Amino acid sequence: MEIEENYGNYIEVEMGKEIYEGIILPSPEAGTFLLKLDNGYNIGFNKKDVLKMKLIKKIEEKKKEFEVKISKDKPNVALVILGGTIAARLNPGKGGVDFVENPKDLFRFYPELFEIANVKKVEVPFMKGSENMDYKDWKKTAKVICELVNEKEISGVIVLQGTDTLHYTSSALSFFLNNLGKPVVLTYSQRSIDRGSSDATLNLICSARAAISNFSGVLVVGHANTNDEFCLGISGTKVRKMHSSRRDAFKPVNAEPFMKIYSDRIERISEHSLRNEKKKCALDNKFEEKIALLKFYPGQNPAILDYYSKEGYKGIVIEMLGLGHVATSGGRLSWIKKLKEVQQKGIFICAASQTIYGRLNPLVYVTGRELLETGVIYLEDMLAEVAYVKLGWVLGHKEWAKSRETVKEKMLENIAGEINKRLVE
Amino acid sequence: MGIDYKKLGFKAGLEIHQQLDTHKLFCGCPSILRTDEPAYFVKRKIHAVAGESGEVDDAAKFHGERDKEYSYQVYDTTCLVELDEEPPHELNKEALRIALEICVFLNCKIFSLSQIMRKTVVDGSNTSGFQRTVLIARDGYIETSEGKVGIDSVYLEEDSARPVERNEKSVVYRLDRLGIPLVEISTNPDLKSASQVKEAALKIGEILRSAKVRRGIGTIRQDMNISIKGSSRVEIKGFQDPKIMEKCVETEVFRQKSFLDKGEKNPKEVRNCMPDGTTEFLRPIPGPARMYPETDLPLLHISKDIVNDAKKNLPKLKGEIEEELKKHGLDEENIKLILKGNKLDEYREFYEISGNPKLISKLLILFPKEIAKKSGKSLDEIRGILTRDVLVFVLEAVYKEKIQEKDVKHVLEKIVSGSPLIDAIKLDKKDLVGVEEEIMKIVKGKPGLSPNAYMGLVMKEFRGQINGEEAIEIIKKFLK
Repeated sequence: MEIEENYGNYIEVEMGKEIYEGIILPSPEAGTFLLKLDNGYNIGFNKKDVLKMKLIKKIEEKKKEFEVKISKDKPNVALVILGGTIAARLNPGKGGVDFVENPKDLFRFYPELFEIANVKKVEVPFMKGSENMDYKDWKKTAKVICELVNEKEISGVIVLQGTDTLHYTSSALSFFLNNLGKPVVLTYSQRSIDRGSSDATLNLICSARAAISNFSGVLVVGHANTNDEFCLGISGTKVRKMHSSRRDAFKPVNAEPFMKIYSDRIERISEHSLRNEKKKCALDNKFEEKIALLKFYPGQNPAILDYYSKEGYKGIVIEMLGLGHVATSGGRLSWIKKLKEVQQKGIFICAASQTIYGRLNPLVYVTGRELLETGVIYLEDMLAEVAYVKLGWVLGHKEWAKSRETVKEKMLENIAGEINKRLVE
Repeated sequence: MGIDYKKLGFKAGLEIHQQLDTHKLFCGCPSILRTDEPAYFVKRKIHAVAGESGEVDDAAKFHGERDKEYSYQVYDTTCLVELDEEPPHELNKEALRIALEICVFLNCKIFSLSQIMRKTVVDGSNTSGFQRTVLIARDGYIETSEGKVGIDSVYLEEDSARPVERNEKSVVYRLDRLGIPLVEISTNPDLKSASQVKEAALKIGEILRSAKVRRGIGTIRQDMNISIKGSSRVEIKGFQDPKIMEKCVETEVFRQKSFLDKGEKNPKEVRNCMPDGTTEFLRPIPGPARMYPETDLPLLHISKDIVNDAKKNLPKLKGEIEEELKKHGLDEENIKLILKGNKLDEYREFYEISGNPKLISKLLILFPKEIAKKSGKSLDEIRGILTRDVLVFVLEAVYKEKIQEKDVKHVLEKIVSGSPLIDAIKLDKKDLVGVEEEIMKIVKGKPGLSPNAYMGLVMKEFRGQINGEEAIEIIKKFLK
């Protein structure tokens, strides 16, 4: 009797002197399998230790039907599911991970969401962990969203994805979705949705609130702090994952959040653009693939730039130290010569700060002035991740990329709230 | 009362939860229960989640539907893991070793591979919404005067947060207890009478206390499953005192029988044992749909090496320990106090340092009590000051002859009254001033005795504080 064929069935297995009964399940470790005993616990065995195995009962997977309530009084929202913890569900019967991708499943896990709005449409352009997403996925997602927001009966779009690169996606959508008149809300969960404590519930309730609100633009919604009390609505270009595991991982950087969102109301904190149903979203998802994000560290050899040059890169965002510094003529390994060289070859070099918070300023120290003279574009208070996305988007426009001046101008133009001229903290 | 348990088809099994004396099971936080004010509060909600079969479990629904708010008291001895803000760390190896020792004592078969599970808990007592638990052994037994009692299984799991305040809409929990390692032992439903229930509980209790477990109120919790022929199983929680067990079993048997007599069946439920042996409804019995794997942790491998190691270093049972301490020259009273006070580990450690059993037993038991009495502070407070490290410091000072054995109590008193350790062991003549005055009173109070007679009186009063030579010198001063 084959082990693998019987996954999910109730079996009897003889191991040496012992006989065990239970549901046989695949194991996360090679060469082993699991047995769910009648008391619900799983124990494991080496496949090669099995003497005998007997099928006791075939177990059919029960599919429960859930009724999804649609009410004419409620506004409609659309969901775009890309993957991540918020859309992943363990299937303990089979041992693997399923994605939640139809409205019925969603209703089962998030009944509260349906009390606020009708989930009119669910789109799943792809399903992946966010670490596996890249600009091609951002382009695809933007296209799907643009079509959805242009549907008359849809008030707003909620995007579910993994947290690791959510701030890249929110940034890409901010540049790709032109003339947006409705809310596009990205949300997530840091705790798996199978548990009663999952942060997904509040995040989704608040996202639904935001999606039907008078906001327009790209918004990241998630826990404001460790309490299950309210969420923050943060600009898609001023947000960053700042903690590996906490519920309130996403923080506004160099900006105030737009709003506090409670399960039953929204408190506006700062100025944002307002819903305008007359606007029609225009997709502008051009993107130059040959760009890089490079973090400078003390003693780093500038020869790294030769690699990018050789590989045909068009632009690099360098995460510099402090106000915008890398080693210059005073250092053992000065970057000045190499920076001049690669920029002469046509590569655009932009600077963002490793400090995350605060604005760059190349004029305070000699070092900065030396770097500025090489032609480095200092991106003010723009986040490095946002700078990366924006540089790809700007250079994706061939008509802009032709001219150094235009590229510099575009990079320093505040297009989607990515630059804040007035830092107050 | 003369209940015919056999005729009634009485069946009972015990479930015993014992806290282990280590840091927490899935993080490095110390297992310390707090009584002071929390650093801050965290507010959460727990939602009922549909189980793997798509149904919300009865017990889960019971709590989830009530839409309660939970508030958690956070301390500097808890971290993000207890707050459900960080994934669990690797399972505490010391806790596993202790649990395996207990399995060996219970004659259990230990699993070589097991999976840490999440048991859904929706009353808010776990911030995650589940309790992490792992089955480590099965099929053991203990002997009782009424026959063998089978041990069905042994689990290692995390303790829950403790409720400190409950009202209609919210519950306040303290996070200090959440995550303390627990061993859960469940017996087969082999117990045939109320007296056997009690005997088995005491027997398992003795085995647990031989291992490195926490002591005191709340560190061991006993639950019981009871049914009679035709009735539904009832789980009873909250026995603190084995004495109440017999009474409670009898009361529950009568309660279940009264349903059957009326042609009804008692509901399957969890009940709470009251101090008078009666019970009250607590919640429905949780169903099996509540278990699913802890995906944040790898499978638990229990190698032959770890098991052999546990077998080799098996703690002694109480009788063997008493024998060991007797050989050190300790009397029964002191042995009893050391064991009762859960000071065996410290005793052994100190014995390695100084090899002076009598002084050690004084350090651990007598002196703290005396100092507490004299200073008017609580014993807990004194023990809080005279920690293991402090006592080791003092013991080493004796060993290195910086102070004499007779000075130890005085040094401890100085430490308790706030003296830094280094200063406390600096003894000068001034410390004898008070004693001198007292000796003067003795001499002046009974004039005309011989120096030796005064010596007898003085030593009776000041044994341990001064030695004979010093005493005679002072006495001579006042005889001149």
